[in-house]
Amino acid sequence: MKAITQERSRIRKTATRHRDGAALAAPSRGAPGSRARRTLRSTQWAAWAFIAPVVAYLVLFYAYPLYRNIDLSIRSYTVASFISGDAPFAGFANYSAIISNPTFAPALINTAIFVFASIALQFAIGLALAVFFHRNFRLAGILRALFLVPWLLPLLVSASTWSWMLNSDSGIVNAFLGALGIGPVDWLTSPTWSLAATTIANVWIGIPFNLVIMYSGLQSISGDVLEAASIDGAGGWQRFWRITFPLLRPVSAITLLLGFVYTLKVFDIIWIMTRGGPATSSTTLAIWSYQLSFGSLLPDFSSAAAVGNVLIIIAVLFALIYIRARHRLEGT
Amino acid sequence: MKRRSAWLTAIGVLFTVVMLFPVYWMINVSLTQTSNMRKSPPNLVPVDGTLAGYSVVLHQQLPYLGASLLIGIGTVLVTLVLAAPAGYSLAKLRPRGGGAVTFLLLIAQMIPAIVMAMGFYAIYIKLGLLDSAWGLIMADSTIAVPFGVLIFSAFMSRIPDELLQAARIDGAGTLRTFGSVVLPLSRNAIITVSLFSFLWAWSDFLFANTLDNGGSLEPITLGIYAYIGNNNQQWNAIMATAVVASIPAAVLLVLAQRYVAAGVTAGAVKD
Amino acid sequence: MTVHASRKARAVGAALLAIGTVTAALAGCSSGGSASSSASGGGGTYTFWDPYPQYTASSAWANLVASCGTKAGVTIKRTGYDTTALTTQALLAAQQGKSPDILLIDNPVVSTLAKAGALTTTAQNGLSTGSIAANILDAGVINGSTYGVPIGANTLALYYNPKILAAAHVSPSSITSWATLTAALAKVKAIGKKGITFAGINTEEGSFQFLPWFWGAGANLTNLDSPQATAALTLWTNWIKDGYAPNSVIQDTQTTAWQEFQVGNVAFAENGTWQKASAAQMGAQLIQIPGENGGVAPVPTGGEFFTIPVQRDTARYATSAKIVSCLSATSNIVTTDNTLNYIAPTQAGQQAQLAADPTLSSWIAAVHVAKARTGDNLATKYPVISQQMWTAVQKAESGAATPAAALATAQAAATAGLSS
Repeated sequence: MKAITQERSRIRKTATRHRDGAALAAPSRGAPGSRARRTLRSTQWAAWAFIAPVVAYLVLFYAYPLYRNIDLSIRSYTVASFISGDAPFAGFANYSAIISNPTFAPALINTAIFVFASIALQFAIGLALAVFFHRNFRLAGILRALFLVPWLLPLLVSASTWSWMLNSDSGIVNAFLGALGIGPVDWLTSPTWSLAATTIANVWIGIPFNLVIMYSGLQSISGDVLEAASIDGAGGWQRFWRITFPLLRPVSAITLLLGFVYTLKVFDIIWIMTRGGPATSSTTLAIWSYQLSFGSLLPDFSSAAAVGNVLIIIAVLFALIYIRARHRLEGT
Repeated sequence: MKRRSAWLTAIGVLFTVVMLFPVYWMINVSLTQTSNMRKSPPNLVPVDGTLAGYSVVLHQQLPYLGASLLIGIGTVLVTLVLAAPAGYSLAKLRPRGGGAVTFLLLIAQMIPAIVMAMGFYAIYIKLGLLDSAWGLIMADSTIAVPFGVLIFSAFMSRIPDELLQAARIDGAGTLRTFGSVVLPLSRNAIITVSLFSFLWAWSDFLFANTLDNGGSLEPITLGIYAYIGNNNQQWNAIMATAVVASIPAAVLLVLAQRYVAAGVTAGAVKD
Repeated sequence: MTVHASRKARAVGAALLAIGTVTAALAGCSSGGSASSSASGGGGTYTFWDPYPQYTASSAWANLVASCGTKAGVTIKRTGYDTTALTTQALLAAQQGKSPDILLIDNPVVSTLAKAGALTTTAQNGLSTGSIAANILDAGVINGSTYGVPIGANTLALYYNPKILAAAHVSPSSITSWATLTAALAKVKAIGKKGITFAGINTEEGSFQFLPWFWGAGANLTNLDSPQATAALTLWTNWIKDGYAPNSVIQDTQTTAWQEFQVGNVAFAENGTWQKASAAQMGAQLIQIPGENGGVAPVPTGGEFFTIPVQRDTARYATSAKIVSCLSATSNIVTTDNTLNYIAPTQAGQQAQLAADPTLSSWIAAVHVAKARTGDNLATKYPVISQQMWTAVQKAESGAATPAAALATAQAAATAGLSS
């Protein structure tokens, strides 16, 4: 055990040293001040040269759609004014309208359930599989590659396949349940089950992403630590919980955050499987936004944009929480 | 040890079979006759099957497949060219305001796809990029670039500074250091980002439908719509298209995975 | 990098190069993935959008479009979109001032686009509508102006499987009202078969399928919560509750409802004209949808409309109108409607179709009594009402609310939506 803690602190010290390497390296070289300053200035210039394309890309490709969405939400657009371009300024009227809309509360709750259940299951299963595949057995590489196949499929196909499988009368899942003696479940047509059904499909689609990232994270952990631990007598489960999992924390954190951001936006799967129905039982904020705009014969773009922006705001809030938590973690 | 490995392989195969059951189901539907589509209970294997879906697909969909591959590879290139230098800069060069850029990249990923598509439509129509492969490639890259920068900066921050200092002592500038020291060590990251951006571009439908419907190079996700008429849908053809579309991508996947597995410690931190 | 690794790198590089060459070859060896026709015509290019992505560049429809273009002296660039995406595309294009010259669009959307100011009227574009049946043209008439010309009409009827009805001792001619229909469904269930499939999904298709029962009870779209409307919704809800209709109808599109019928274990299917070829293949026949207390229920018209969107260069309208007239000329439209399995919108066209295929008589009769969804001066009120109606239908079907409660909420929401 002592060896493990010693090893762990050694790794942490090394990691810290590497992280601060760039900042520490220059002064510790003992070069005269002006030379260090010049090196620092040219490094800054190079730093910006390397990142400038992405910054320009951000402005061009993301800022403009975001600006248009905000504009749509603070004006009152009808179909006619959407085309002609001039619409009266509405301030926050659209936002207060959607918040007081009876669909808002169910949409918010469904979004919360859908997102948290999806991420929890995707992450847990992805991590478990990554740990499993990390032990090199025969065919591990090929099986791991095959696990990514769900990702290749266009969402139209995966969502349709799941709809097929979960059909109340002709679906294979109900046929299987029937063979076990369980009565048919109305996966897609019952208000109780529709959200669960779409969550299951979403988890299935999200496992490959989590598997790949966590697997890469596992690979970058040096084997020496785990060897030392097993020599010291730590069992497999202990090794995982006391060493591997804590070392995976930064990778896990970013996987969960990205999973959160991506799942918040999920639209195709739910739309193709249930279109947010029956009633509002599987309507999330993303679905509602689409329903208001392109899912209706008479689009209401302003309200749809407002809902979309609410979605972005929720995501930003969680990102801020993540960053606060990260800073606090790194501070200790 | 060998017996234990065989046991693990067996469990691994079981997991894979369970995970891929929906894919098997997709193949099953692609071989099912239209009149049997809604049989209850459904056939586990395509008894009384038909190859009608596949013959239609192989006659019509090959150009779409080629276009999809082209767009996928294009997206990978654009993503790598943009994300790798940016990742390096954030990880090692520490530009002022780097934290803000990272935060903005995170925000960028939060914008719903339909919002992006509507915005792009307006830009593209003004720039005449509608219905062009390059327009679609740039749109698809927006899905992958922020994520790519994240992966690259995470991987590259783990490269020991001693190596970079050594290169600088040898007289290499930042660009040279990047090209001859950093990139080779970031092979893992390059493969990962390429994989993600290819897969995201391959399965994209929304951007293709809004921005490239009617161009001369349409991806396979639009090709599927040839079987979705306004009143009738030909499901065995739709699923057959998906099966055929998955094969080249699956092959690429197996190649990439093997490459990642071999020589993986070449770039890892060793004390 | 080790020697082993660099050899691997070269191998992967070579593989990528090979793949790149193959994909370039594949992509290049086609005439393009889109359904774009390249006909010879000297006077410029006209864009044509339709919701038939299943008709590729080599299909009869594409060739017909191209030939009408040539006759008008221009080249036509045709794009087939998925029908739900077409409305989006039309709106986005109109916003950017790049509308297509001719837009073939589903009839309930015409009023939306007209209200948006994206379409021209027949007064502006010179299309003639004289010989078109009034009830079919109605969906394109908003506030007295006509915004489009129908390509054909389709509507709904009740298909049945003769074998199952015979086994259940039900005579098709005995089905004249809701009561007799429900009794027949009970008899079918008694012999172990399913009674009826329809599309109860929360989309316009669901509204479309519900309307014959809604109108058949005497309800009006301006009053979603009338007792007649409640009676119609109760009919459907009870069918599902009593097991006469399978649970999957709650999410069924018209296609998937038809697929269930095709398996051969369902007695009735409420479906449309476009299934007539498939019906003939399986030996199904049809009767009109009965009204609540006898008679034939009014059925809604479906089918797309040719429209000419607003362009900056108004001189283009004349040529666009020529192309549309060519496509809707009797001989052309009969061929088109036979391909689409629609009924022609003109008397002359219908007679030509009847002459070629006498089994169409019941469909032509159905189309004669059909009404437009946006008719009764509803125009753009229809989409708002329809959305609430399909929501209420699905709520009641799935048991989330009683029919009366669901319709009351729907009416309140529709009124609120229409007044804002």
